[in-house]
Amino acid sequence: MNAPISSFPPGALADTTAARVAIAPACGRLSLRARGDLAPLEAALGLALPGRIGQRAQGGTVQGGAIQTMRLGPDEWILQAPEAEVAGILAACAALHASHPHSLVDVSGREVTLLVSGPRAAELLSIGCPRDIDSVAVGEGRRTLFDGATVVLWRDAPDAFRMDVWNSFVPHLADLLVTGCRELAAETV
Amino acid sequence: MSRYRIAGKGRVDHGAPVRFTFDGRAYAGLRGDTVASALLANGVHLMGRSFKYHRPRGPVAAGSEEPNALIGTRRGPGRFEPNTRATMQEIRDGLEASSQNKFPSLKWDLGAVNDAAYMLFSAGFYYKTFMWPKSFWHRVYEPIIRAAAGLGVAPTEEDPDHYASRNLHCDVLVVGAGPAGLAAARAAAAEGLRVVLVDENAEVGGTLLSEPQAQIDGRPAWDWLAAELEALKALGVRIMTRTTAIGYYHQNLIGLCQRLTDHLDVLPADTPRERLWRVRARRVVLAQGALEKPLVFHGNDRPGVMLAGAAQTYLNRYGVRVGDAPVILTSHDSAWYAAFDLQDAGARVQAIVDLRDAVREELLNEARARGIPVRLSHTVTATSGRLRVSAVRVNPVTNGKVGAGQAIKCDALLMSGGWTPSLHLFSHTQGKLAWDEDRTTFLPALTPEDCVIAGAGRGLWGIAAALRDGAEMGREVAQALGKAGAALAHDVQNDRTGSGVSMKELPTDRNPGKAKAFVDYQNDVTAKDLRLAVREGMRSIEHVKRYTTNGMATDQGKMSNINGLMIAADALGKPAPQVGLTTFRPPYTPTSFGAFAGYHRGTHFELTRKTQIDAWAEEQGAVFEPVGQWRRAWYFPRQGEDMEAAVRRECRQTRASVGIFDASTLGKIEVVGPDAVTFMERMYTNPWAKLGVGRCRYGLLLGDDGFIRDDGVIGRMAEDRFHVTTTTGGAARVLNMMEDYLQTEWPDLNVWLTSTTEQWSTIALNGPNAARLLAPFVEGVELTEAAFPHMSCAECTVAGMPARLFRVSFTGEIGFEVNVPAPLGRKLWETLWQAGQQYGIVAYGTETMHVLRAEKGYIIVGQDTDGTVTPFDAGMGWAVGKAKPDFVGKRGLARPDLVAGTRKQLVGLLTEDGSKLEEGAQIVFDPKQAIPMKLVGHVTSSYHSDAAGRPIALALVEGGHERMGETVHVPMPDRTIAAKITGTVFVDPDNTRLKI
Repeated sequence: MNAPISSFPPGALADTTAARVAIAPACGRLSLRARGDLAPLEAALGLALPGRIGQRAQGGTVQGGAIQTMRLGPDEWILQAPEAEVAGILAACAALHASHPHSLVDVSGREVTLLVSGPRAAELLSIGCPRDIDSVAVGEGRRTLFDGATVVLWRDAPDAFRMDVWNSFVPHLADLLVTGCRELAAETV
Repeated sequence: MSRYRIAGKGRVDHGAPVRFTFDGRAYAGLRGDTVASALLANGVHLMGRSFKYHRPRGPVAAGSEEPNALIGTRRGPGRFEPNTRATMQEIRDGLEASSQNKFPSLKWDLGAVNDAAYMLFSAGFYYKTFMWPKSFWHRVYEPIIRAAAGLGVAPTEEDPDHYASRNLHCDVLVVGAGPAGLAAARAAAAEGLRVVLVDENAEVGGTLLSEPQAQIDGRPAWDWLAAELEALKALGVRIMTRTTAIGYYHQNLIGLCQRLTDHLDVLPADTPRERLWRVRARRVVLAQGALEKPLVFHGNDRPGVMLAGAAQTYLNRYGVRVGDAPVILTSHDSAWYAAFDLQDAGARVQAIVDLRDAVREELLNEARARGIPVRLSHTVTATSGRLRVSAVRVNPVTNGKVGAGQAIKCDALLMSGGWTPSLHLFSHTQGKLAWDEDRTTFLPALTPEDCVIAGAGRGLWGIAAALRDGAEMGREVAQALGKAGAALAHDVQNDRTGSGVSMKELPTDRNPGKAKAFVDYQNDVTAKDLRLAVREGMRSIEHVKRYTTNGMATDQGKMSNINGLMIAADALGKPAPQVGLTTFRPPYTPTSFGAFAGYHRGTHFELTRKTQIDAWAEEQGAVFEPVGQWRRAWYFPRQGEDMEAAVRRECRQTRASVGIFDASTLGKIEVVGPDAVTFMERMYTNPWAKLGVGRCRYGLLLGDDGFIRDDGVIGRMAEDRFHVTTTTGGAARVLNMMEDYLQTEWPDLNVWLTSTTEQWSTIALNGPNAARLLAPFVEGVELTEAAFPHMSCAECTVAGMPARLFRVSFTGEIGFEVNVPAPLGRKLWETLWQAGQQYGIVAYGTETMHVLRAEKGYIIVGQDTDGTVTPFDAGMGWAVGKAKPDFVGKRGLARPDLVAGTRKQLVGLLTEDGSKLEEGAQIVFDPKQAIPMKLVGHVTSSYHSDAAGRPIALALVEGGHERMGETVHVPMPDRTIAAKITGTVFVDPDNTRLKI
């Protein structure tokens, strides 16, 4: 009964010879803020928190590494996990509040992930992202801008990216990505 | 074959005719032609009328520096562009080109009467002529001048094309693909660097395209060029043609405008017309070459008078002879080669007139061998011919004395005053220039950017020198980027090196005060104007420029700046470097608004945020208004309702039963950590320590200065966790301000902030039936006065969804705000909407929200406050924790000005005649006082109030809190409205309606 009437059902938005843009299925998302000794948190989460901004890690105490994380700032990580695991993660860390102050906030509803892939995916991102896409290594990511909005970019392969976007920005950003897909497909390279 | 086209010559495709029209007449050109070269091939030199005097004009150049041949181009409805340079626009099948600034026709133009009256239109003409009577300026002079002024005609239809933009990163950006640029790109690319090579022309090669006689490394120039291009491509160099570097911005950010479709016969689908590239290059090589200078003499603007280098380009690149019987006028060796090339191509050069008394023997021999008459130490003092030059008047100059003139018949006059390095982009970097006395020109010296200049752009002349310098500069940037670096050497034969002298106006035997000797063709500025400006007291070159408008046209002084400087320096009696050069500003060439706008037009004009419930509102026919970046439902009109009727219905139904409102845009911040309460105590004016878990409180946020910045209801979800709400527009600002304090002032606090604005969809229910509607859906909280009193909050389940429930009211009615995870928002909304039908539920928008809160005297930050209002001014001293040791703004509030009793204070206003005041209207105490009256405040909010049965208003009035019951006056254009000062609560002052 709680199936969301989502404005953004998963599925393809544009699919051309140059690139493909799609909305990813929903997932659990948590914003973790902490500093100092991270070991107890890492133990609770079942993963090693990456030490460099943009670096990623995978792990988790359940289902063998279902949590993905990226360091976004000096004391900030984003965690992604199956929706069903959010409650467990929150509970595991809540026990540490007193001994290891931190902030873990469920932001599962805050964002939608856009999948950008295809032979010219990196160029497609260059229409809205001022950062040098080449400087984001495969297996890493960045918090950056796309067409004026803050996004988190994950590079999973040379030609496969995920872009986490706050809900309200999705129509605007997806519109540009779809336009860009058509523009790139029309180009004779 | 067109009359002036030379079979087989040039880089145009002689087997591919292209048909276009100019001023409605059909012409044929060849693939590869520009409008200018195609018209010249048809013997057409007259292409436009000048801006001020409406003098007939033809192309003077062959490239982007062209000041005269500006045309309109059209491709069907909406696709019209004025002021396109005919020398850059490539012809395409069906292109409709038209001349400008003419009425009724190009050949017979009424505006040319200005030319006859030229003595009236000298520099500073407007300032002097239109001074009296003063009142005439707005009503008479300015409208007439505006109607007559302007280049071309602005398009009236919406542009159906689309425009694009991209970001690009590279190691080395090379601007200009002439020999220097090509060599630089090669040297950098050979080291494995990411190299981008751009050129504004349709094909790369630069000067090589106009000098096919050169031999490079044993091959003809064009063969070498083709092979070099292949080599660059093989090295991975990104080569972009039809791409103009328009501006050089901070830290090696360069703007490029790429023209993608203007040259195509058929518009391809999904392809933008132009694309703006934002390039961030680690190193930049500027290889933009040099621009030829015109000579300044009476009649130097007649169609057929052209730069010698341009004639050479038309001949060698386009296979077009610009005339059969040209005269050459020069102070530089380069024009001699134009004479030789034209003579060799079948023209009969009538004379080479050189201002110098001696030139290289080799040139004289070449002229002699071709039988071309040569006149050294001669000047030209006039040209004749109505719409095309037909003769020039040539005079000998002996010891500075100008002898008698002699007419030489001709059909073209090809001039060269030497060459000026193209310093525009270098100048954008705030680069310093150095005067070079030998070349009498400025050369680039120091720049704060990581850029180098190669080739003719720094005064080097000839293909061999350009190639050598380009390779050297390429090596230099490669080394700067940590590569070994190597420069290829090239062997160049048939290179045409040379030198020349710089002139001011050419000597004449006639009255120079009557000479129409143009310096700036596009703005119709003559040498006489420049001298007049100096005589009238202009000393700085910047003043001379503005007084005369020299160099201020769309060509940015590409041809006129150095000539203007030489003349101004002469008039001032100072050396040129002491007079200095004016600043070049981006863009390098005129750039369309479309290119700057890029994707941001139509529905994509501006980033617009939408809530999860936005689509529902749209389906219901809501009218939207922008609030910050968001669009919010403003009101929900039913059939036949205007805004007033819709808002009245929404207000009435909410107070009568229940209204539902999308409050999702409210900013939300999760404040978490053991020091959360300490942080809240310091940020907000209110006390928080004693606020229990499960309770919420209205919070007021000030700036350091003590003025209200933001407000919102804040709930304590746990001992160490607050759910903070902010205004819609203030969300990002408040989070930034909090982070700023946390990181810089209180890094010791163990507390973290997370934006949860978009985690939640927030639905507000207000009205006497709100609890009755909501209660059946809520699990975990009993919605009774005892169990969940006003200003409570709880985590619970609503309609099976995890929720944060707040009992708050911004209407004075029983009110709830239900927060559920954002994607569930619409589901909850529709559930409540369905269930609410039994109560006659009404959806209301922001306007009704504004009315309902104003009836209760609740402020809206940014409407009733303007950054100069303290909590006490707003009548909200109760929100300031007096016992707190500190909070942001506490010191500010103690400033003497902020405690003065005469400050403007928020009060209610009720008009005596029952009319509705205008928001923003000014207030006076005494309407009979003399004008200008003393203004004592203004109306901040004003609405028709159904609940109050009359219009109500909030206003900031000087000392208003002490003036209850007094009458103030609101002067309006047609009358003055009297209003009584009241309290700010107009409905239910005892809050009886809040109780369940």
